[in-house]
Amino acid sequence: MKIKRSVAIPWHIIFIITIIILLYPIVFALGSSFKTLEDAYNNVLNIVPLNPTFENYITFFNSLPAFKITMNTFIIASVATIFKLITSFLAAYAFVFLQFKGKNILYFMLISTIFIPFTVTMIPNYLIISGIGLVNSVWGVILPQLANALGIFLMRQSMKTIPISLIEAAKLDHIGHARIMKDIVLPLVRPAVTSTGIWFFITTWNEYVWPVLILKSKENYTLPLALQMYISSEGGTNFTVAMAVSVITMIIPLTLYLIFQKYIIGTFTSSGIK
Amino acid sequence: MSDGTVFKNKESWKAYCLLIPTLIIFSIFMFWPFLYTIYLSFFDWNMITPTKEFVGLKNYIDVLSDRNTYKILGNTFIYIAFLLVINCIIPYLFAFVLDLILKRFNGFYKSALFLPAFISLVVGSILFTWILNPVSGPVAIILGWFGIEMPIWSKLDGWVILVLSLITSWKVFGYNFIVLYASINGISREIIEAARLDNVPLWKIFFHIVLPMSSATGIYVFIITIVQGLQYVFTPIKVITQGGPNYASSNAIYHAYHEAFVLYRTGHSAALSIMTMLIFFILLALEFKFVERGIYYEN
Repeated sequence: MKIKRSVAIPWHIIFIITIIILLYPIVFALGSSFKTLEDAYNNVLNIVPLNPTFENYITFFNSLPAFKITMNTFIIASVATIFKLITSFLAAYAFVFLQFKGKNILYFMLISTIFIPFTVTMIPNYLIISGIGLVNSVWGVILPQLANALGIFLMRQSMKTIPISLIEAAKLDHIGHARIMKDIVLPLVRPAVTSTGIWFFITTWNEYVWPVLILKSKENYTLPLALQMYISSEGGTNFTVAMAVSVITMIIPLTLYLIFQKYIIGTFTSSGIK
Repeated sequence: MSDGTVFKNKESWKAYCLLIPTLIIFSIFMFWPFLYTIYLSFFDWNMITPTKEFVGLKNYIDVLSDRNTYKILGNTFIYIAFLLVINCIIPYLFAFVLDLILKRFNGFYKSALFLPAFISLVVGSILFTWILNPVSGPVAIILGWFGIEMPIWSKLDGWVILVLSLITSWKVFGYNFIVLYASINGISREIIEAARLDNVPLWKIFFHIVLPMSSATGIYVFIITIVQGLQYVFTPIKVITQGGPNYASSNAIYHAYHEAFVLYRTGHSAALSIMTMLIFFILLALEFKFVERGIYYEN
C-alpha cells in the first residue's frame, strides 16, 4: 500500500510538533533544576544552565525530610503493587478457568466500579481509615488499594489467550490449582504481569487524591504531596527547587517506562477492550 | 465472556476462595462506602458531631437550589467538551494516521506520545504553571515576539477551564491514543487494502471502515474520557486554582471534595456525588442508545 509523500510529510511534521510540545515540560524541568535562580529568571528560553549547580537538590534535602518522603512513596507504591498483583491474579484465574454461580454478574460488578467517581466513596473510606487510626499513616494510604478492577481486567484478557487444552491436560493429571497457576499460567502471562505491575507501581507512585486526604504531616508525605507545597509561592524564590523536586518525582516512573516500554505498550495494545 | 472454563460447579468453593481477597477489599472500600454515601446524602452532618440529623431530601434540594451548583454544572460540561475534543477526537485521528499513513518512526511516535502518561499530574500542574506563566513563562515570551499578550488565564472564566483541561490532557492523551491505535491496528488489512486499491479517499476509509470497526473501543475511550477525565482534572484544580476564581474552575468532582473536606458538609457532598454519578450513567446510557446500531464489536 503506497502513501504519497505529500500526504505523509505534513503528518510527520504534526506528530513531531506534538511530541515536542508534550516533552518540552520535562526538558524544561530538567534544565531549570540545575540553574541558579538568577539564571532561571534571566534566560527562560535557554534549556542548558549557564553555571550548572546542585544547589536546588541540596535545598530540597535540607528543608524537608526528603529521604523519608522518597521512602514513603516507594513503600506505598511497592506494597500496593505486590498486593494488587496477587489479588488480581487470583481473581482473574477464577474468572477464566473456574465455573461458579454468579460469575458474570460478579465480574460485571467489579469492572463497573471503574466508572464510579472517587467522590462517591471518599467520605466513608476516610471515616474507615480514621476509625482504625490510620490517618496520617502510609498504611492508611495503602489499605484501600490492595485489590484493583483494572488489574483483574488486564490479567483476565491475558489468561484468555492460554489454550484451554493445556489446563485440561493438567487437570487430567490431577495437578492442583496452585501448581497450575505457578507452573503453567504464571510463566505464560508473565509479560502481562510485569507490565501491569509496572503500571500499578507508577500510578501509585504518582497518586495524589487519596494521599492528600490521609497524610497530614510532612514526614509522612509522598513526593507528589511534597511537590505541591512549592506552588503556593507563585513567582516566589522556590521556582528552581520546585523543578528539582519535579525531576526527583518523575525520574523513577520515567526510567521504568523507558526500560519496559515494549512490554507496557504490548500489554495495552494487545489486551483490547472487549 | 468466553467460556473456557474447565472446572465444574462442584469446585466452585475454590473459585470463591480465590476471589475472597478481592471481595473483602471491594466490599469494605467500594461497595459499602457506595451505599453509605447514599445514606449520608439524607442526613445533615459535619463528620465531627456524634449524631447525624435525618433531613430527607433537603440536601438534594439545597444543592439544586444553590446558584453555584449551576455554574459548576456548566463548568463540568465545558470540561467534558474540551476533554472529548483533545482526548477522544484528536487521538482517534492520530491513531488512524499513524496506522495508515506513517510507516517510518512508528515505534518512536508511540512511545513518545505515551510517555507523559507515566508522570505525576502534580508534576504536570507545577511545570505548566511556570511554562504558561502569563508574564515570565517561555510561552508568554515567545508570544511577546509576535506582539501577542497572554491572558492571565488563572483569573479568567473560560480560559482557566481550557488551560486546566490542556494540562490534564497532557497526561491522558497518550493512554487513549495507545488504546485506539491498538483497536485500529487490529482491523483486517484486507478490507482497508481493497478500499485503497479502489482509490477510496482516506477520509472515507476513516468514516466508513475504521470508525465503525473500532467503535467498541471508541465508546470505551469516550466513556473514560468523561468519567476519568473529570477525576483527573481534580489534581490541577486542587494544585493550581482550588476551584477559583469564584468557582470558575470548579467542577462536580472538585466541588464534592470541597463540600466534604473544606466546608465539612457531608450531606451536600454526598448528594452532589450521587447526582454526578447519575448524570454519568445517563450519559453512558444515551451514548449506548444512540450508537448501538452502528457498533461493530471487534471479535
